[in-house]
Amino acid sequence: MKTQVEEINRNIYDFKNDDNYEYKIKKGLTPEIIEEISKQKGDPDWMREFRLKALEVYNKLEMPTWGPDISELNMDEIATYVKPKTTLSNSWEDVPEDIKSTFDKLGIPEAEKTSLAGVGAQYDSEVVYHSMKEDLIKQGVIYTDMETAVRDYPDIVKKHFMKCVPVSDHKFAALHGAVWSGGSFVYVPKGVKVDIPLQSYFRLNSPESGQFEHTLIIVEEGASLHFIEGCSAPKYNKVNLHAGCVELYVKDNAYLRYSTIENWSKNMLNLNTKKAIVGKNAKMDWVSGSFGSKISMLYPMSILNGEGSRTEFTGISFAGGGQNLDNGFKVVHNAPNTSSVVNAKSISKNGGKCTYRSLVKISSNAPHSKSSVSCESLMLDDMSISDTIPTNDIETDDVEFSHEAKIGKISDKTIFYLMSRGLSEEDAKAMIVRGFAYPISKELPVEYAVEMNRLINLELEGAIG
Amino acid sequence: MKQNLLNITNLHVTAGGKDILNGIDLKINKGEIHVIMGPNGSGKTTTANAILNNPMYEKTEGSIIFDGEDITSSKTDEIARKGVFMSFQLPEEIPGITVTNFLKYAKSKQTNEPVKIFSFKNELKKYMEELNMNPNNMERSLNVGFSGGEKKKNEILQMLVLNPKLAILDETDSGLDVDAINTVSKGIQMFKNENNAVLIITHNTKILKNLTVDYVHILVDGKIVKTGSQELAKEIEENGYSKYKN
Amino acid sequence: MELEVNQTPVRTSKNFNINNIKLENVSFPSKILEFNNLKILNSDTKVTIDDLTSPIALNYGLGAELTNLVINNSNKKINVNINSKTNKEIQIKFDLDKKNSALLEDIEITANESTKETVIIKYTSDSSTFLFHDGIIRVNAKENSVLNVIIVNLINEKSSNFLAIQNNIDANAKVNYTIVDFGGKNSITNHYTNMTGDSAKTTINTIYLGHNSQVFDLNYIAELRGLQNDVKIEVQGALADTAKKHFKGTIDFKRGCKKSVGDENEACMLLSNTAKSLSLPMLLCSEEDVEGNHSSSAGKIDEKELFYIMTRGFSLKEAMKLLVKAKFNKILETIPNYELREKIIKEIDMRLN
Repeated sequence: MKTQVEEINRNIYDFKNDDNYEYKIKKGLTPEIIEEISKQKGDPDWMREFRLKALEVYNKLEMPTWGPDISELNMDEIATYVKPKTTLSNSWEDVPEDIKSTFDKLGIPEAEKTSLAGVGAQYDSEVVYHSMKEDLIKQGVIYTDMETAVRDYPDIVKKHFMKCVPVSDHKFAALHGAVWSGGSFVYVPKGVKVDIPLQSYFRLNSPESGQFEHTLIIVEEGASLHFIEGCSAPKYNKVNLHAGCVELYVKDNAYLRYSTIENWSKNMLNLNTKKAIVGKNAKMDWVSGSFGSKISMLYPMSILNGEGSRTEFTGISFAGGGQNLDNGFKVVHNAPNTSSVVNAKSISKNGGKCTYRSLVKISSNAPHSKSSVSCESLMLDDMSISDTIPTNDIETDDVEFSHEAKIGKISDKTIFYLMSRGLSEEDAKAMIVRGFAYPISKELPVEYAVEMNRLINLELEGAIG
Repeated sequence: MKQNLLNITNLHVTAGGKDILNGIDLKINKGEIHVIMGPNGSGKTTTANAILNNPMYEKTEGSIIFDGEDITSSKTDEIARKGVFMSFQLPEEIPGITVTNFLKYAKSKQTNEPVKIFSFKNELKKYMEELNMNPNNMERSLNVGFSGGEKKKNEILQMLVLNPKLAILDETDSGLDVDAINTVSKGIQMFKNENNAVLIITHNTKILKNLTVDYVHILVDGKIVKTGSQELAKEIEENGYSKYKN
Repeated sequence: MELEVNQTPVRTSKNFNINNIKLENVSFPSKILEFNNLKILNSDTKVTIDDLTSPIALNYGLGAELTNLVINNSNKKINVNINSKTNKEIQIKFDLDKKNSALLEDIEITANESTKETVIIKYTSDSSTFLFHDGIIRVNAKENSVLNVIIVNLINEKSSNFLAIQNNIDANAKVNYTIVDFGGKNSITNHYTNMTGDSAKTTINTIYLGHNSQVFDLNYIAELRGLQNDVKIEVQGALADTAKKHFKGTIDFKRGCKKSVGDENEACMLLSNTAKSLSLPMLLCSEEDVEGNHSSSAGKIDEKELFYIMTRGFSLKEAMKLLVKAKFNKILETIPNYELREKIIKEIDMRLN
């Protein structure tokens, strides 16, 4: 029996506005360009120097020698900075019509209507729309774009910016350090519990433009936050690069949940870096859905530095034809009594390739730690590929570590069972796929579960009628 | 005259390259309860799977007419939507799909109209009470982590909800304790009326105690070797099948 | 000199330090002398043993330096040709010592159609001088053959131990390995299996035991190409003191290997808080209709089990040894030769003292 589940239809996202920008930097990357970006952004001196240093590191570092082939990427071809024709606005009415209609189609106003805490949406490289509930502001919660944060909160930013993800991490982290633009800054003061999710929506529009947004979130002692990031880009012929950076600081006894639904268009190279440093008895949860991109190399990382800190990763990748999604999770246990739980799933179809690549490291200074990893891969046809490449580095004896992985197809027996209840073969398979993805969708707030439903459930169902 | 529901003529079936059924004839009319008994490997489960056209079983000869239509080579889901139900010996586990959502979806596929959630849930609750099922199971993934007994009761629940014209119960009583067998039997009584029929595949006469069985068929080596009344079941229970084996 | 050997079939992040193993201060013997301490026991007339190994290049191996060293300088060639069904057990025993301090053997075993045989290959050394071993074992299992290969490495802990194994398994053939990997300062093994025929089967059962500062690097690769191939890899190990092991296990379902099954289970008992276990259990899959599973675990011996044994009058050390042996027992039982099994059990006791 061959699976006929149709590929997720991304066409509804593949609308694009006229390439309407006021300024587009010349291609290639030199100190002069970096200076120019810095000037355009009105960087303080320290940031300008930071960018130039990052450029030096970038020029020294090699491209990765592992993972998907990204040789199609020619940095000289990619304009790194595109500034949209609008300035920062905090009222929906002020957002220009074409951009607004884009967001309309993406469901942003709906999210706003449902009284979410705030929306920071990035259009190309600048944050164009932003709002947050007043009671959060009263409690001292800061949610703003990254440029504003550099200007208004220099001490906090300076202390944390690219300290979690140093520019030396890898070539694209260095690139990010040199050319970063836009992104979100969230600061939750000590003890403040933000009980409704904050969200942002990123989107690329201009052909050949890279997106290098920086997300910096600091959850102070005993505070808690749920942050949601959604990504989408319309389709262009030339390669688009996304090399964002997410730095999360979860201080002692704090809690942070970071949820992402990525649905970049299928020419996107998503080389994103996400890292969290987790303090004493704090908890960091990741929820991640990866649907878009041509190539994705995405390995969120938790560094469990505080005693008793915990982390959980729940993620799914769905690769259709022409996609190579190399995703996974990294965790380093650096203190006693730490724990990590990983639940990763993938679906490959139509010649798509999913790879689960990971690291679990339990250092010698992390006795009484626990880590349990479970990976499950579903192959929907015999053209696709699914690889599992987990590295487990255990450096002390007083640990409980276990890793389990399974690869397989949907069982014929299960399909027959569902068909005996009157479901067509396609319906039966779609139902099994939805069930497979359920552990991830149930971790998302309703609006995003719906978003993911739209990507898996309804699209699958609609496509196969 | 009673209206015919199922008519199997000279059915031959192979599975994994082996001949399993060697010419079965079986007629079931509306309002009847039939029982198939037979030793292990005689072809009982194959008969049930062949009626629902499980692709793992191949029909080499014969025909199956259901409610006036030839379903010999219809797809499983079409047969199910025409009104044939099978309770599985080993129901499949489907993670991530709740019992409620599954049944709601299956029901809507069968009736071809949307299911009203509120009344549907009430109906489910009522049936679950009758079947002594834990109401929390409604929101659990289909059969996942269910005990053997819970799985079998869940099959009966599905039968009641989907309300087929013909229910085939493949060893639904095996591995159940006396109380659970009585519950299953009660489910069959709730389901049964003049317009539908039941085909029970079993080793055991306990499940038949409170039912009025019309015919008992003895299946040996892929052939029905004797057909009789409920008395025949008792005889088998006492004396076994040796008399009917070659 | 410095060597980078035993590459994984697919690379992962360089920072994870598992794509290969870097060995510093490895010295190749300056002069390769004859190797004379070899005993072959063969009572089966239908098994011929000579030195006519075929000059086939390795598909995989540990790396060009180590492979070429054997190909160009081998001081022992053993060609085993099996035409027997009696399974009488052939033993090939290498004993390294001061005079025979370098062994570069090239072994080829051919199990012809519909044969059955067991081959035991044993490496020992009583001397405590530095020894060098770099070997190649090539196995060809023809249709319908059954071949059991038992490899026991008890070389002393000052030595370098390298071994590359390559298997080709035809239709309906079955190759079972039991590998006991205890010896060497560095013990680096590559085990590559190419399953070309339908219904080919292979099992690899390995136990390793490390203490002091021993380093083990195990790189097992099975490529499934036929229909209904079946691979089972089971690796059980224990590490004491500052011993370290890298386990890299790859089951590669190639397109077309429908209805195949691959299972890989790796467990490491850590007997000290300075022992280190690094593992990379890979599943590569380009075929839909297959079942692949792997599991990997690491941790210390269950304290409840230890306590239970100790209440029966055993000291902590004795209890630990007992539990390590208990874990290894399932794999040890696959060795039919009683004396050899007893010898291995003695080695475990000795090494964990």
